[in-house]
Amino acid sequence: MRRKASLILLALAVFFTALSPLLRWYAFPRLAKIPANQYQDMVLEAKNATLLDYGTMQAKTVPKVTIVQTLKGNVEAAKKIDRTAGRDVVVWDGLSYVQGPDGKMVSSIPERYIFDAHTQDPVHATGEMVDGDPVKRDGIEFKWPFLTQKRDYEYFDAQTRTTNPIHYKGTQNFRGVKVYYFEQTIPWTKVPFPKTMPVKGITPESVAKTGTTRWYTTIRKFWVEPVTGAPVYGEEIHKEELRGGTLLGGRAKVTAFAGDVKMREDYIKHTVALVKSNRTLVLLMVSYLPWGFLSLGLLLLALSLYLEARSRRPGDPAPTEVQEPEPVTA
Amino acid sequence: MRALIAAATGLVLAFALVLTITAMGSPMGKTSPKPLLTTVPAHP
Repeated sequence: MRRKASLILLALAVFFTALSPLLRWYAFPRLAKIPANQYQDMVLEAKNATLLDYGTMQAKTVPKVTIVQTLKGNVEAAKKIDRTAGRDVVVWDGLSYVQGPDGKMVSSIPERYIFDAHTQDPVHATGEMVDGDPVKRDGIEFKWPFLTQKRDYEYFDAQTRTTNPIHYKGTQNFRGVKVYYFEQTIPWTKVPFPKTMPVKGITPESVAKTGTTRWYTTIRKFWVEPVTGAPVYGEEIHKEELRGGTLLGGRAKVTAFAGDVKMREDYIKHTVALVKSNRTLVLLMVSYLPWGFLSLGLLLLALSLYLEARSRRPGDPAPTEVQEPEPVTA
Repeated sequence: MRALIAAATGLVLAFALVLTITAMGSPMGKTSPKPLLTTVPAHP
């Protein structure tokens, strides 16, 4: 009976011990992924910002500029690309909608971001774009990979349509969450005008005819929770200028927008709570369960060996030996 | 010999479980009917 129990325990010990590395290094990279149908919105605000009044072409300080950013997973598009790319992809259709203090639209920039659901590496397919312009991302955008490392990453900038390094600048604590702080500086760069302009009748083409150009610089800051790779907070010190041309009435440049863009408080709280919950799920797969299974496996192995040893103890009644009859000699 | 069979059974079951779970994957779901926002939401 003991021997049978020890064999069952041995099988269970091997089962749980094998499950530990299989879960961490085989199952986790295949199961952890961004859902294709994810929908999320984010509100950012720039208080006491400088904004260009396109009516007077004068920059003025306004109490608040609001940026509403929506990301919506396009499942149908993802399925199509899945088939050709041969891997799980996520297609995010996004919109960055900027609203002035009067509630009127300042700019509205759509984009499509296609990436690997597991690694967050960019995937190139038809439809990848920013504001209608085809682009080719060579880095991440919006989200870092699961198990983010303490190193620089390549990050795509939608305004310049270029990919540049975003530097790891240290580990911090953000509202009780351990985060990696990343920072990227985009130097003054000439960028295209948005396709949708805030004043009716003005188009990027009509502005281009005046010779006026649009320039942009930003310092982008992200506080990223490393287990999930999700930013819990973000800030941008963002400046835009119009330079040259007849539109400015002889001035060399005018500020189109300048402000310190920060996440709205209620969205910070919501994001922190969401990331904390997702963090537990990821930790379950990369740490809690693998270590738990390994410990359980070793415990069961010890128990199995103990039972096996007891079943062979010399003190136990020995099985009755059948004595062979001695040969009879006459 | 019986110990070897027991250990092999445990190993095979572990592989079978993990391979089954990963092969099943998760459904992709449907695209959300919610629009890309052009108004400021009151709350998350």
